[in-house]
Amino acid sequence: MNRVSQRVRSQVLLGVLGWHCLLLASSVFGMATPPQKTTQQVAIGSSAVMLKTDDLRASPDVKSPLLLRVEKGAQVRLLNSQSGWSQISNAGHTGWVRVLSVRKQGNEGIELSDLGELGKKPQGKVVAVAGTRGLDVQQLSLASYDPAEVERLRGYAVSRREAEQFAQAAGLHPREMSYFAAPNQ
Amino acid sequence: MMGSSAVTQKGMSNMKQKFPGFVVVAMLVGIFGTSQIQANDLKDLFKGYLKNKIAPPVQEQPVTPATSEASAEKPAEQLLQALMGGNVSEQEEDRIGQQIAGNLLGAAPLVRDDGLQRYVNRVGRWVALQTERPDLNWHFGVIESDDLNAFAAPGGYIFLTKGLYQRLDSEAELAGVLGHEIGHVLRKHHLKLLQKSQGIAAIGGLLGRKLKNESEVLQNVIGNGAEVVARGLDKDAEYEADRIGVVLSARAGYDAYALPAVLAEIGHVAKNDTRVSLLFKTHPLPEDRLSHLSDAVTDALDALPEGQSGAGRFYRLR
Repeated sequence: MNRVSQRVRSQVLLGVLGWHCLLLASSVFGMATPPQKTTQQVAIGSSAVMLKTDDLRASPDVKSPLLLRVEKGAQVRLLNSQSGWSQISNAGHTGWVRVLSVRKQGNEGIELSDLGELGKKPQGKVVAVAGTRGLDVQQLSLASYDPAEVERLRGYAVSRREAEQFAQAAGLHPREMSYFAAPNQ
Repeated sequence: MMGSSAVTQKGMSNMKQKFPGFVVVAMLVGIFGTSQIQANDLKDLFKGYLKNKIAPPVQEQPVTPATSEASAEKPAEQLLQALMGGNVSEQEEDRIGQQIAGNLLGAAPLVRDDGLQRYVNRVGRWVALQTERPDLNWHFGVIESDDLNAFAAPGGYIFLTKGLYQRLDSEAELAGVLGHEIGHVLRKHHLKLLQKSQGIAAIGGLLGRKLKNESEVLQNVIGNGAEVVARGLDKDAEYEADRIGVVLSARAGYDAYALPAVLAEIGHVAKNDTRVSLLFKTHPLPEDRLSHLSDAVTDALDALPEGQSGAGRFYRLR
């Protein structure tokens, strides 16, 4: 729960860092800096859009007081997330909607992990790309059966009993839930 | 164990291409004379030659799984008929899945980390126990690749790449990803894809004339190597697997929102990043998958007590 909000916070932070890197890069390459970037750094939270109409509630709980309805497609600010809920601000109100009702926008094109690597090694991105092991269609088509790897895989198989013991030790309790039907398109 | 016999066979067939069999035998007689031991060897060789002349050996198959030995003509026929008729047994489904899994592992081997692989199998098997096919031969593996992707093969063979694993933050997220792949196995998405493929009909035509061995039939059905995992399913199959992934996470006691969190995370990767090119080629974009989940879930999870994230137990890779 804290982890999720931590992640959101770190993404916001990285987003800001990202713009700095871009600014740096664009000044190196002599490109003009688009004016809207300054506002990006100042705004609180991230820009987000409502995927569906949902109730904005005072706290992350379906039983908490309803503040207002937020319509599908509305532009909001995403402030925080925790299990199942996202905190947003919209039209002067701050509250919570279901996490699946809202989607963060922007930030695409900036690779978070690459930004992380930039800090570690001066030419981190170049090194990382050279060392990557991808899986493309050609590689997959040319692959041939590896019996030793299949044996290895078999060796890791877990019995029903072992899985149940694992879950018990972890305090994982099975719950009943039906499969969801496909939504009407 | 298959390796050595395959090599010998290969050597022989190479020889046969160069010289007709009787020339080889005659040459060997000339070289070795007629001492007792060698005479027996030659007799065997000659017998082998005659046998091959009468019933030519099936063409050598480089991808031969460990379980299929010779005399697999019956299973081959059965497998083909099962595939054509759409009633594949659990055992046959496993054979197909094993062949695909072995081919995929040929392209990207398992990460050499016993702790990791055991952990992933425990979590995966626990999630699989919450399904209507709890006792399949479920296998889970993390494979060496920086790509962000996960794969399922019929019969319960499930893989995720190291690149994707490193993006995960918790056991619940792992369970969500595995749940999505388990969904493909439950609904036999890939099996149906193979049954629809043109190859089946073409191989079926050979039935009346000459039966091939089982592994050859299998590989023909599957296509080239592990290319089948790079063939996209239709979008609805992916959306269905997402819905199943969320439900299975919830059933297993995990935070049901962990899979959506992974999708959101993948959505932040640049679209032109090569590490997601295969994933985005074969799946709808993460934002579309999230929208779809949002429409499907509605308020179904509201009454559910909060599940575990299992972040503390999550096996972290260095």
